[in-house]
Amino acid sequence: MKKPFLLILISIFLLPLVVRPAIASEIWIFAIFGLGANLLLGYTGLLSFGQSTFFGSAAYVAGWMMKVHGINAFLALVAGIGVGALSAAAVGYLCVQRSGLYFIMLTFALNQLFYFTAYQWTSVTGGEDGMPGVPRPALAGIDFKDPLIYYAFVSLLFLLALFLMKRITESPLGKILQAIRENEVRAEAVGYNVPRFKLLAFVVGGAFSGLAGVLYAMLFGIVPLEAISFVFSGNVVFATLIGGSGSLYGPVIGSFVFIWLSESMSTVWARWPLLLGVAFVLVVMFLRGGLVEAWTRFWTWRSSKQRD
Amino acid sequence: MSFVAAQILNGIATGMLYALMGLGLSLVTGILNIPNFAHGALFAIGAYLLATVAVAIGNFWIALLIAPVGVALLGLAIEYAGIRRLYAAGHDYQLLFTFGLALILSESIILIWGPIGSSYLPPAILRGGADLGFTMYPKYRLFVMMAAGVLVFATWLFLEKTRYGAIMRAGIENKEMVSLLGIDIQKLFTVAFGLGAWLAGIAGALTAPIRGLNPGMGPDMLGIAFVVVALGGLGNLLGAIAAGLIIGVAQALVAAYWTEASTVVIYAVMAVILLVRPQGLFGIR
Repeated sequence: MKKPFLLILISIFLLPLVVRPAIASEIWIFAIFGLGANLLLGYTGLLSFGQSTFFGSAAYVAGWMMKVHGINAFLALVAGIGVGALSAAAVGYLCVQRSGLYFIMLTFALNQLFYFTAYQWTSVTGGEDGMPGVPRPALAGIDFKDPLIYYAFVSLLFLLALFLMKRITESPLGKILQAIRENEVRAEAVGYNVPRFKLLAFVVGGAFSGLAGVLYAMLFGIVPLEAISFVFSGNVVFATLIGGSGSLYGPVIGSFVFIWLSESMSTVWARWPLLLGVAFVLVVMFLRGGLVEAWTRFWTWRSSKQRD
Repeated sequence: MSFVAAQILNGIATGMLYALMGLGLSLVTGILNIPNFAHGALFAIGAYLLATVAVAIGNFWIALLIAPVGVALLGLAIEYAGIRRLYAAGHDYQLLFTFGLALILSESIILIWGPIGSSYLPPAILRGGADLGFTMYPKYRLFVMMAAGVLVFATWLFLEKTRYGAIMRAGIENKEMVSLLGIDIQKLFTVAFGLGAWLAGIAGALTAPIRGLNPGMGPDMLGIAFVVVALGGLGNLLGAIAAGLIIGVAQALVAAYWTEASTVVIYAVMAVILLVRPQGLFGIR
């Protein structure tokens, strides 16, 4: 487990040399978002298609508080994490009572509830144009206006989030969630209150999404309507699956690939979501199990070759 | 009073369309056991096809027949080329696949028909209003109400009274048992997907003269179809009608007094119903 961590550290240092700091920051922000989504998708086996609800709500609320009330960065982060967890608790409460396909459809429908609220509430959210003018307030005398300093801040928070998620997945709570994923009936029979643990997974995942949402708003200075749309929810599912939902590092690799892919495609063609759709279809057809598994398969194939 | 009555009629007309959408989705989802995120895009393509064909041949009625068949054929192609290979995969990959498909279809709509929405007028005989005694009401909406009613009834007849319908209902209940009885389950899946696509296509075609055409209509309707299924239950015809009418009428009534909330209300009503009845209207799973 030391090796992936070292690789991540190296990438954090090398990334700003290769791409613009804004994109580098976006990668780690999206990775935090992915870590939260993967707690549901990968560890609990809950296919939430509404993760942008928590991401977007946090971005709007914390962004508004920074913009209008001038709160500092620390308070903004706390507010974002709180809103993320709270909105996830509300959505989760309704969703965990149903399972399977109903669950997926409910997460999507409730995502639409939040989306259309943001879409119509133009006096606050700016509707389709997004909410501009989100500042990047200083924290403890450190000015985040410099994109590289902000990048360092984001990277630090990402490492913190990664460490925290590692501890959560290895904790008894993480084990219970995985037990629910493997066999819900058995977990129930053993005496665990399954809906309550699913709800807890929602809340923790929502808190991570909220953190990512605030950082995103601060990074671009605007909360686009897209941040609370089903498109974002789909993107994080894709990033998690392409990385490999079975591992802690899957969504990190996934967001790396996804942001890089979408950034390079979106500059080439306005209709790039079409290419994204094609990418989704191709991954499902040929790359099930994600990059982590493909990597492992490649190495086992190579080592078996060398033995021959 | 006549204003409220007209709004309720509006709600019934759109509610029937919602029911039709939900019904198609619930057939596909129930029988194939996949989350179908492309259902909304198929709806949008139905609307665009109707407008294009009607303009090309100059006849609304023939276009109304052709457009849904076109969507059904597209559905069959999608099932044959992609979804067929995913029955053994998890819901996560099925979801990603149908979502990717929805993106491809929505973006193709923009590529073919342009990003700007447009309006589409109903045929000449159905323009203008009819005097119902208590209110004047647009003829086309009355037609939609009847057409959607007939379609829902026909689907009910098909599912309840024909042999193939019985097989489909059995397929929702227990797929293994159906295939053990010597029925080609693969064919059943293909037919179900085609039928679901056809229903989405005709709902889209009927909607075009009411709401016009715009690339966002697919995702919007997808969310509504999910609401109908979540409230009404998979494969539950009565549930789909009840859920469709409830959200349709609620939406129309709220829209009359507070236009901005007209879309939000659909989902808010769903959230409230689920708070009281987490298992949905008729208590399934």
